[in-house]
Amino acid sequence: MRNTVLQSRAGAATHVTPTPAPLVTLGGVSRREGNKMGLLSILRKLKSTPDQEVRILLLGLDNGGKTTLLKQLASEDISHITPTQGFNIKSVQSQGFKLNVWDIGGQRKIRPYWRNYFENTDVLIYVIDSADRKRFEETGQELAELLDEEKLSGVPVLIFANKQDLLTAAPASEIAEGLNLHTIRDRMWQIQSCSALTGEGIQEGMNWVCKSVNSKKK
Amino acid sequence: MGCFFSKKSKRKPSESDERTTTVDTAATGNAASLGNSGGGEEPRQYSWDKREKVDPKDYMLTGLKDVTVGRLPGKLGGQQFVIQDCENCDIYVFDHSAAVTIDDCVNCRVVLGPAKGSVFFRDCRDVKCVVACQQFRTRDCKKMEVFLCCATQPIIESSTGMRFGCFQYFYPELAFHFKDAGLSVFNNNWSNVHDFTPVSGETNWSLLPEASAVLESVPPPGPESEFKSVRISADAERSIVPLTTGGRRKASEESCLFVFFAGEYSTANARKLIDEASAKGFVLIQTKEVSMRPEDVKRVFQNSAESLVECVTNGPVIALELSGDGVVEACRSIADEVFSGTKVFVSDNKNTSSRDVDSFFNFADMQMGL
Repeated sequence: MRNTVLQSRAGAATHVTPTPAPLVTLGGVSRREGNKMGLLSILRKLKSTPDQEVRILLLGLDNGGKTTLLKQLASEDISHITPTQGFNIKSVQSQGFKLNVWDIGGQRKIRPYWRNYFENTDVLIYVIDSADRKRFEETGQELAELLDEEKLSGVPVLIFANKQDLLTAAPASEIAEGLNLHTIRDRMWQIQSCSALTGEGIQEGMNWVCKSVNSKKK
Repeated sequence: MGCFFSKKSKRKPSESDERTTTVDTAATGNAASLGNSGGGEEPRQYSWDKREKVDPKDYMLTGLKDVTVGRLPGKLGGQQFVIQDCENCDIYVFDHSAAVTIDDCVNCRVVLGPAKGSVFFRDCRDVKCVVACQQFRTRDCKKMEVFLCCATQPIIESSTGMRFGCFQYFYPELAFHFKDAGLSVFNNNWSNVHDFTPVSGETNWSLLPEASAVLESVPPPGPESEFKSVRISADAERSIVPLTTGGRRKASEESCLFVFFAGEYSTANARKLIDEASAKGFVLIQTKEVSMRPEDVKRVFQNSAESLVECVTNGPVIALELSGDGVVEACRSIADEVFSGTKVFVSDNKNTSSRDVDSFFNFADMQMGL
């Protein structure tokens, strides 16, 4: 099984073993007081949409932090994450509403498979390693190609400028400039600094995701 | 910095702005969030805005040739480290790091202290290294020797001539650096490498011979260098990471599972067992340090489970698979003689022991997402 390129490793939220959230203080509020950015809370915010199912796609270069982000959202242990060989998916359901988050492996060799996941995507989350300056051009290129894809036309995109905890990380403003985000005309977009490791910035990004999904579905 | 977009991007700025870009600028002037959809969150001060500003160049080695460089213990302190465009260098990073990237290096010898995150080699050639990390990645690399301790499955992409051996190294602060990086010396998947670009009829990677002399590939710092004060050793018995044979062919069909339950001395006890077993000629195949819940104990240890269930609440267990003719009997007497006061599990007999091993390590793999 391990040798197939696309290996399904489903992790439905009902089977997730809850681990205590790390005690990270955001603006003085302890995160343990309710996992505000967790998948279930996102689902609750999305319930104003008429659709029964919301689909979020997590893309970006390998080593960007997509799986760490996914595990953070699911309140799982993030100290032991293996490079994704196929994809990971987390699903939550509540009262007839379903949220699916798809985290697809980003190695160069398997990027051609990304298009298998485009259909019915409500929001694209593109994760960038802000501290990997050597690959800024490469990640800009991949993002540009995604935004040109027919099957993703009009889909709102959140760009997480991840790994801000690392010393050589470029700030979001610099990345936005380098990516020419201001020239995006055909969809809603947002760039957000974050550290998937510490959890900072994630909530803000996911709040925008909910807003963008709800506004599109009105 | 230049334009990141590819040249074939068709997007051109239109004449009039249909959407305005709103910018939330934090006090430092760096926009943490920008967008085109009616404003983001209130400007926030994140931990990276508040920390002392440093020059990224202090954490980078760039364009060096024919030199010995790196970091002494305590001089990196868990930060990110970047190595690029080096040739014929000896690079010693004797400290723990957050993550390391190594780009465009040729003919270098590299020692990397434990990395909390990933170690990623790109476009490197003829590099020999000693590495400990949570994730190990390569892309477009050629002819490397890697003495590795990796908590997850190592991966290579578009790389050839990659050879792997078990991490085998010591310096006095190294054990602390493993702790600082959140890595267990018992979780080492050095020998099961995933290749994203396999070529039929060829193998891009292989295992180094068991008795590979690390110091021949990655020599110790010379007497003239600033690192001579670091008392390193690559002796097998002193290695902070126990030497495991991993995927290499086993000499014997008989194996034994030995499990230490958490207590103050479980790491020391595990090392003692390895020493005792090695002295008797047995071979260490694999090890794992993993948390177990009571329901896991019942499933994995079955008949022996009852007395062990309450032992798992103190912390993770350390499990070892040893191999050799007569290993089960030998382990049982070691348990009696050396560990009589300690809570352990040892395989009962050589007919059921391989089932114990499979049962435990399959559980551990599932638990750790491998």
